[in-house]
Amino acid sequence: MGRLTDRAAFETYAANAQRRWEALWEDRSWVISVGISGCSIAKGAEQTFQHLALLLADGHIPTVLRRVGCMGLCFAEPLVEVKRPGEPPVLYGWVTTDRVPEFVDTLRRGELPTEGVLGVRAFEEWQGIAPLQQHPFLRHQRRLLLEHAGVIDPESIDDYIATGGYRALLKALFEMTPEEVVDEVKRSNLRGRGGAGFPTGIKWESGRRTPAWPKYVVVNSHEGEPNVFKDRRLLEANPHLVLEGLIIGCYALETPFGYNYIGGEHALALRRFQLAVEQAYALGLLGDDILGSGFSCHVRVRTGGGAYICGEGSALMYAIMGQRGQPRTKPPRSVEEGLWKRPTVLNNTETFASVPLIVRNGGSWYATLGTKDSTGTKLVTMQGPVRFLGVAEIELGMSMHRLVFDVFGGVREGYRFKGVQTGGVSAGPLREDELDIPVDFDALTPAGAMLGSGGFVVFDESVCAVDFARYLVAFSRYESCGKCTPCRLGTPALVEILDRIRYGFGRPDDLEVIQYASKQIIELSLCGLGQVAPMPLLGMLERFRDEFIEHITEQRCRAGVCPMTASVSAIP
Amino acid sequence: MELIEHGWTGPDLEPLRRILEERYRPRDYREAQELIVGACQEAQRLYGWVPPSAAQLIADHLGVTANRVYGLLTFYADFQTEPPGRHFLWLCHGAACHVAGAGKIVEYLQRERGIVGRGTLPDRSVTIHVFNGCLGVCDLAPAAQLDHHEYLAHLTQERFEHLLHDLQNDGAAGGADGAVD
Ligand SMILES: Cc1cc2nc3c(=O)[nH]c(=O)nc-3n(C[C@H](O)[C@H](O)[C@H](O)COP(=O)(O)O)c2cc1C
Ligand code: SF4
Ligand code: FES
Repeated sequence: MGRLTDRAAFETYAANAQRRWEALWEDRSWVISVGISGCSIAKGAEQTFQHLALLLADGHIPTVLRRVGCMGLCFAEPLVEVKRPGEPPVLYGWVTTDRVPEFVDTLRRGELPTEGVLGVRAFEEWQGIAPLQQHPFLRHQRRLLLEHAGVIDPESIDDYIATGGYRALLKALFEMTPEEVVDEVKRSNLRGRGGAGFPTGIKWESGRRTPAWPKYVVVNSHEGEPNVFKDRRLLEANPHLVLEGLIIGCYALETPFGYNYIGGEHALALRRFQLAVEQAYALGLLGDDILGSGFSCHVRVRTGGGAYICGEGSALMYAIMGQRGQPRTKPPRSVEEGLWKRPTVLNNTETFASVPLIVRNGGSWYATLGTKDSTGTKLVTMQGPVRFLGVAEIELGMSMHRLVFDVFGGVREGYRFKGVQTGGVSAGPLREDELDIPVDFDALTPAGAMLGSGGFVVFDESVCAVDFARYLVAFSRYESCGKCTPCRLGTPALVEILDRIRYGFGRPDDLEVIQYASKQIIELSLCGLGQVAPMPLLGMLERFRDEFIEHITEQRCRAGVCPMTASVSAIP
Repeated sequence: MELIEHGWTGPDLEPLRRILEERYRPRDYREAQELIVGACQEAQRLYGWVPPSAAQLIADHLGVTANRVYGLLTFYADFQTEPPGRHFLWLCHGAACHVAGAGKIVEYLQRERGIVGRGTLPDRSVTIHVFNGCLGVCDLAPAAQLDHHEYLAHLTQERFEHLLHDLQNDGAAGGADGAVD
């Protein structure tokens, strides 16, 4: 297939892709789809795939065996969806390679495996199996970005197009001016998904207004926080969605230069996005004069590896330019002076993924989702001893209580909920009595908590507040780029005090010193890392003050985590 | 450079040269600078680390100084500028792994093995990096990744000690399959 040169050619191509897609599901052969993502590979999904391939070939069962992305149901991986002729697709979980022989046997006998049934991908119950949407983990979600995750093959541009992909790009290119695209994004009230929640439309407008040329549009897929993994799952499951958002972003800024900066550790996400770019070039959705619209767009993929600070906007741009990724003072802001000193619009992966939806359905439609000031859906990940560990997509404004206990199923048996850490390493935790609070960009802030990029960590009574606070601050200390003094020297000072307390050598005035030093670090640091580094500690201290005091006055750690009795020389 | 003393003349640079010539062809100096990190990653994939001769080759190919290349190699935690051990282990120290007990293993490494953050065991059997981020497999927490593909699940200090012991005696990681645990 060569490059498509006009809109009509795309329409024909899309119609064919759609026909093939529909035929796949109506065909007489079996369709078996295995979820292959970073997390399922860790649980042996690739072996499950190979084993299935072998046994299905042995059994002479005509099967289309597919690799799909991650549905976000990490807790049930490896996931296998089976569609036999005349039946709806049924999703099974925990299909490890040792289960495969029995699994295939059962299916071949015309029976249904009884173990690990998650649901049928249909609107109605079938053979006593409930629809997948009614699964407790999925029931409370609103899946827009994840709609096709785990259904389409992320390595097939045809699957994406067959399910409505690149329609938004066409609409933008042929029916809208760049200004209209920006207006639509403004109307949607979409706020940045990378942490700060800055209104995307306003950022794009500022980028347009700066007269310098060329301009750049950059996706931030760095995702280096220690408690979030949503962007890489999205890229693994539906890379074209992010790419389509990026191309629309370039059109809105009237620039042919797009970038995606992907954390080097996210190998599969990187590979799949790169492949998506190649496929888009081959089909003429990237390159010069896209579909004869006169608009050209070129996307480059760049990576770094193992430096959290490279997620910060200005640091990321230095990193792309082959410099050490260290932030600089602002202003000028990136929309005025970013990459190669030119106006640069930087947004999070998820922000870009939301754009095609907005363009296709209109900003006003998007604004009806979520709350008035926090519109739309948000990908969230929850870590810790919860029942349904995975990636969820919720409408903003859902209460934290529902998020923890309904969506993620609450803590597993044998654990007692103690708190939930919010905002990655940039904010404080909430206790159980504080969970009646909407998960959105603004409501959490007065409580010292934060939505951030949507990474939450539930912790139970076996976790010590002092130790956890130490962990979170030590992360920032380790990742401090060392450019400015308050952060470079302040964060180690906090860690040192916390270690003193953990080892049983805390001093009566330590808590005051913490407050004082934190204030200095927050106020004087150059970039976002230092400015929020003490927040988790201050939050823990406010909520679990008793525990800190116990450590200091009684040399006691009620969780039994801190090495209270160790000798001074063991202090790192 | 103990390796050189042992008569090692350096890695075969041909494969790297081929990759650079095929896929790292900057149109201008800006793009050349953008490609440094990617080129270093190619080298690390090939050799398990970025040997000085490879860094020099990259510098020459892209028209930048070796200093510039080293500035980046030492900035990013994922690059190795020393020859690694036979195995490479990423011990996850993300938040989920920490609350599940990874902190104890990190302290054990520090206390008993003298490894803070990263290091190679004296017998060069294993290079260990404490991964200051999330490996993305939190329900296996505390988790580790061995040799970039195999995952180890629900580690405890004891299991971790066994693992190191097995790797030092060059068994494969016994019972290390994340899927079964
Ligand atoms: C230390 C630090 C790390 C950050 N890491 C990321 C990241 O990994 N991904 C991301 O999208 N934004 C990250 N941000 C936020 C970015 O600076 C920037 O605000 C964001 O990418 C803008 O996109 P958005 O408006 O769509 O959220 C980080 C900020 C700081 C201070
Ligand atoms: S606050 Fe920390 S990370 Fe940010 S510039 Fe200063 S030293 Fe670097
Ligand atoms: S925190 Fe260790 S895998 Fe996510």
